[in-house]
Amino acid sequence: MTWMEFMQVDFPALATAILAALICGVLGNFLVLRRQSLMGDAISHAVLPGIVVGFIVAGSRSTLPMMGGAVGAAVLAGVLIELVRRFGQIEPGAAMGVVFTVMFALGVVLLEQAAAHSVDLDADCVLYGQLEDILWFEASGWWSLFDREALSGLPRELTTLAVLALVTFALLGLFYKEIKITTFDAGLASALGIPAQAFHYGLILFVSLAAIASFEAVGSILVIAMLICPAATARLITDRYGAQLMLSGLFGVGSAVFGYVAAGFVPGWFGADWALSSSGMMAVVSGVFFGIALVAGPRYGVLATRVFRAAPVPRPETI
Amino acid sequence: MRFLRIGGRRLLAAVLVVAVLGLAGGAVSAAEQRFRALSTIGMLGDLVARIVGDAATAETLLGPGVDPHLYKLTRADVRRLMAADIVFYNGLFLEGKMADAMERAASAGRPVLAAAETLPKSYLLAPAEFAGAYDPHVWMDVSGWAQVAEAVRGSLSEFAPERASLFEENARRLQSELERLDTYARTVLSTVPEDKRVLVTAHDAFNYFGRAYGFEVVGIQGISTESEAGLRRIQEIVDLLVERQIPAVFVETTVSDRNVRALIEGAAARGHEVVIGGSLYSDAMGEPGTYEGTYVGMIDHNVTTIARALGGEVPERGMNGELAVARN
Repeated sequence: MTWMEFMQVDFPALATAILAALICGVLGNFLVLRRQSLMGDAISHAVLPGIVVGFIVAGSRSTLPMMGGAVGAAVLAGVLIELVRRFGQIEPGAAMGVVFTVMFALGVVLLEQAAAHSVDLDADCVLYGQLEDILWFEASGWWSLFDREALSGLPRELTTLAVLALVTFALLGLFYKEIKITTFDAGLASALGIPAQAFHYGLILFVSLAAIASFEAVGSILVIAMLICPAATARLITDRYGAQLMLSGLFGVGSAVFGYVAAGFVPGWFGADWALSSSGMMAVVSGVFFGIALVAGPRYGVLATRVFRAAPVPRPETI
Repeated sequence: MRFLRIGGRRLLAAVLVVAVLGLAGGAVSAAEQRFRALSTIGMLGDLVARIVGDAATAETLLGPGVDPHLYKLTRADVRRLMAADIVFYNGLFLEGKMADAMERAASAGRPVLAAAETLPKSYLLAPAEFAGAYDPHVWMDVSGWAQVAEAVRGSLSEFAPERASLFEENARRLQSELERLDTYARTVLSTVPEDKRVLVTAHDAFNYFGRAYGFEVVGIQGISTESEAGLRRIQEIVDLLVERQIPAVFVETTVSDRNVRALIEGAAARGHEVVIGGSLYSDAMGEPGTYEGTYVGMIDHNVTTIARALGGEVPERGMNGELAVARN
């Protein structure tokens, strides 16, 4: 493998996957801690009516209006889920289930109505991207990273995610304490004068943006896995908020890197001339990480609780 | 930098060739270096292979039985794409997600041709429900595919002008064979009784076929294999089958036959017997190395199968007497 091939094929795909895994992995913590882990799955379904409306408004299959529609629908879904949960007094899982299935169904009905048996207008064709399609033809070697002309040819998915990552982590750093308090004790936060609701909707907005930017780059499987698995894995290992955020980011990036190598290179080492789907493999690796933590986690792992101790340690109420 | 970028690949190829020649120790003429031409679907790959002859290695990304609408590239495919000197794809959204990578390659200045998109807009079918996009299955009409072959030849000649005369000669031979195939299709299909010229298939891949050879075409699914057939659609088609007493419907090698079976059961419940007239090659060809694994063989198979099942007169083993004997 040459530098040129690495920079053209592997670097853009890996960098995109790492960024997507990092953003989704860290934001996933707040979903897991707020018992809304399936938000990613909910968003992936709820965007359909938005895509159709974007299509109807624009009258063509251009990307921008449909992406706008998708973001709108995702945010709407997040808000509706919160409203249903609060006013319906039902658990978050049920609220998400109600909202995303109804929105998805609405999307299907709209689709039939808007474009008869129109075909290529489902989320899978319009919204979901593919890691392997992200190529950087302008690169000729690692030095292209410092070449302005080559950099201008960087895939749009990668630059979008990079900007989103910067904004997300800047805001996370800025409101670190506020987000922590609203996540664990919204009542206390309100008493302290922190607008818990605003933070909640802000979080939903960023999860939606992260999910959609990542859908476009890496497809839906990886996004849904990255919003849940790294955070859940970190949850099995630590009870500390800061460590939880760090670890989930680490597991996200680790899944991306190991998954990419396992999919793209390992078959070749055994003489095969084919490769596996890299985003699929990344999701599998994140599952493997979770499995290892479940068995061998220091406090809550099966080995620690069942084999070496008589009773599981009760989890502390707050971290 | 710009110079390096454009020149890099050719330069590398030239250096490699010189190295190989050096090793061989002989004075092989530069005209004998082969370039690599990669096509997405087999139908295109076959055209390219016929036209380049031994001037290039013609490769195909998608094997037999693979659905181009849904196929996703793997890293190994991407490497083949990067290693190819010239790339052909159908376009018109046939290749679904894969087209992104092709477009990216084209916009970076690589020689890439969206072969079906070279056809004039007036030729292309734009089904009303397919909102602004064109039906991509252009190979189903042999005369249209012959135009695509001409565009492929033109693009190859532009890429390797020193071999243009070879391409021209090969293309002429290909064109005369395609002409013969077109005539065969018209002759055989015209023996199907006029009121039975209805082709019911799993998805809408046969619209160009229908227009060229005077068939009414009914696809259970939409143009892409992604969409699901509604119950109402199945019911409409059962009505049509019973009303017109259509004897056969067809399955495709790249699409599940679940919906087609629902039709047969639906018609049987209303006392009209429909059989599966055979399996048609729609979005991919047969196994490489067989007659059906070539474009001519694929169309020959489809035409012969359709005409036979709908009551036409056909030679048992098709145009060239090379078809595998039908199993039904």
